[in-house]
Amino acid sequence: MVSNSLSLNKLKTIISYIAAIMTVIAFMVFVALRQTDDFSFEPFFPYRNVILNGIKNTIFVSIISLLGSMVLGFILYLLQKSKIKYFNALIDVFTEIIYGTPLLVLIIVTAFLIGPAFNSYNRNLFGVLALIIYMSPYMKNVYKAAFSSISHDQYLAMDLFGFTSFQRYFYIIIPQVIRILMPPLMNNFSLIIKGSALLNLLSYPELFFTIDVAQSRNFAYVEGYILMWGLYLLITIPLSQFTKYIERKLSL
Amino acid sequence: MKLEITGINHTYDVDVLKDLNFSLDNHNSIAIIGVSGSGKSTLLRLMSGLEKPTSGTIKINDLSVDNPEYKKHVGFVFQQHNLFPHLSLKRNITLILEKTRNKPKEEAEETAMKYLKLLHLEDQVNKLPKNVSGGQAQRASIARALSVDPEIIFLDEPTASLDPILTHEVLTAVEELKGLGKSFIFVTHVLSFVKDFADYVIYMHEGKIHECGIPDILENPKTNELNEFMKKVR
Ligand SMILES: Nc1ncnc2c1ncn2[C@@H]1O[C@H](COP(=O)(O)OP(=O)(O)OP(=O)(O)O)[C@@H](O)[C@H]1O
Ligand SMILES: [Mg+2]
Repeated sequence: MVSNSLSLNKLKTIISYIAAIMTVIAFMVFVALRQTDDFSFEPFFPYRNVILNGIKNTIFVSIISLLGSMVLGFILYLLQKSKIKYFNALIDVFTEIIYGTPLLVLIIVTAFLIGPAFNSYNRNLFGVLALIIYMSPYMKNVYKAAFSSISHDQYLAMDLFGFTSFQRYFYIIIPQVIRILMPPLMNNFSLIIKGSALLNLLSYPELFFTIDVAQSRNFAYVEGYILMWGLYLLITIPLSQFTKYIERKLSL
Repeated sequence: MKLEITGINHTYDVDVLKDLNFSLDNHNSIAIIGVSGSGKSTLLRLMSGLEKPTSGTIKINDLSVDNPEYKKHVGFVFQQHNLFPHLSLKRNITLILEKTRNKPKEEAEETAMKYLKLLHLEDQVNKLPKNVSGGQAQRASIARALSVDPEIIFLDEPTASLDPILTHEVLTAVEELKGLGKSFIFVTHVLSFVKDFADYVIYMHEGKIHECGIPDILENPKTNELNEFMKKVR
C-alpha cells in the first residue's frame, strides 16, 4: 500500500514534468510559427562543423575562465583574510566595483581600454581575462563559505589529537572543503558558460558568434535563435542536474 | 586521580572564573554541575588543556596541563559529537591512531573495532556521522576519545543535544565504562546520572566552586544556591 501510493506520487511527478516541458515547447512553437511558415533547421546543416566548433570554443573558454577564476578567487580570499589592512581594503573596493559592473561593460572595458593600455590588442585574451575577473569575487565567497564551515570545535579536536599542520590540511580540512566547494563551483561554471556568450562581441568564435555568422548568410533568423537557445540549454541543464546529483552525493 | 587547581582566573570579555583554588585526590568520576553560564565548560576546557587560563595553574596527576605530554593522556567528548563529518565512524578513529599515534593499519583497525563494539556500534562502523542517529554519533565520539587510551576523559554535556531516550542510551554506555580504570570529569544536567556515576560533585556558581563533595551533598545542600538549583532541576 505504501509503496503503491509512493509510485503513484512518482508517476504524478513525472507526468507533471512532462506537461510542464510540453507547455514550454508549445509556447516556443507558437513563437516560431508566428514568424516563419516553413520552420526548418536545414539551412544550418552546412554550418554544422562551424557551430560544433563554436560549442567547443564555448566550453574551452569556460573551462579556462573557471580555472582562472578559481586561482584568482583563491588569491582574493587569502588577501581578504590577510592581516594587512591595505589588502583587505583593496579586496573590498575591487569586490564592490565588480558587483556593480555589468559583464558586458567589463568585457568592453577590459578588451578595448585596459588591453591596449598594456599594448595588447589580443581581444580574445582580454575577453577571457574579463570573465575571470568578473567571476573571481564570487569564487572568493565560495572559498570563504567552504573554509568557514569547518567548526572551531573540529580545530580543537585536531589540536587535542595532535595532528601536524600538514595532516590537518591533508586529511581533515581540504577533503571537507572540496566537498563543500563542488556544488557552488559548478553553479559558477554555469554562470561562466552563459556569460561567455558575450565574447561574441569581440568576434571570438564561440557558440553565439558562430550561429550569428551562419544566420547572416542563410537568413534563417528564427531557427537560428531557437537553435542557439536550445544548444545553450543542452550544455547548462545537464550540468545543473549533475550539480544537484553531486550535491546530494557529497553533502556532509 | 589527583587534581590541583591553583589561583585560576579566566577572562573572556568578563571574568568567567574567579580565583579558583581547589584540590582533590582519590576520586575518579567527578561531576560538574551548575546553571548555564556559571563557567562549567570553561573550567572543563582549562582542565583538559584545550584552552589556557588567563592566570593560575592546573595539575592533574602531578602533570601540568600546559605540558605537551599532558594532551596525550586526555580524551574529550564535546557537546555536539564533533566527529570529522567526511569520515566514517571507524575512519574517525583509525585516522587518528595511524597518523598521530603511528599505529600500523591492522592494529588501528582492531582498536577502532574494539571500542566501537564496546559502545554497541559494530553495525554502524562504515557509516558517515550524518547517517547515524545523534546518540550513535555521540557514542562514536566517546569511542574515539577512548581509542587513544587516555587516562582522563572529559565530557562536556555529551547529551545536551539529545532527546531523553538517546540521553539514556548514551549515559548507559558511559556507565558501562566504569570498569575500564579511567578517570572521568564531566559536565551534565542529568542528576540521576550524577548520582549513579559520579563519586564527587562540584557545584559551580558565578565562576566559583560554590559547593563540593560526595554526591550526597545533592540531598542535603549546605548553601542556598545549591538548594535553589536542586529545586529547579528536579
Ligand atoms: N569563547 C568565549 N568567548 C566569550 N565568552 C565566552 C566564551 N565561552 C564562554 N563565554 C562566557 O563565559 C561564561 C561562562 O561560559 P561557560 O560556557 O563556561 O558556561 P557553562 O556553565 O558551561 O554554561 P552552559 O550550561 O550554558 O554550557 C558565559 O557568560 C559565556 O558567555
Ligand atoms: Mg557549557
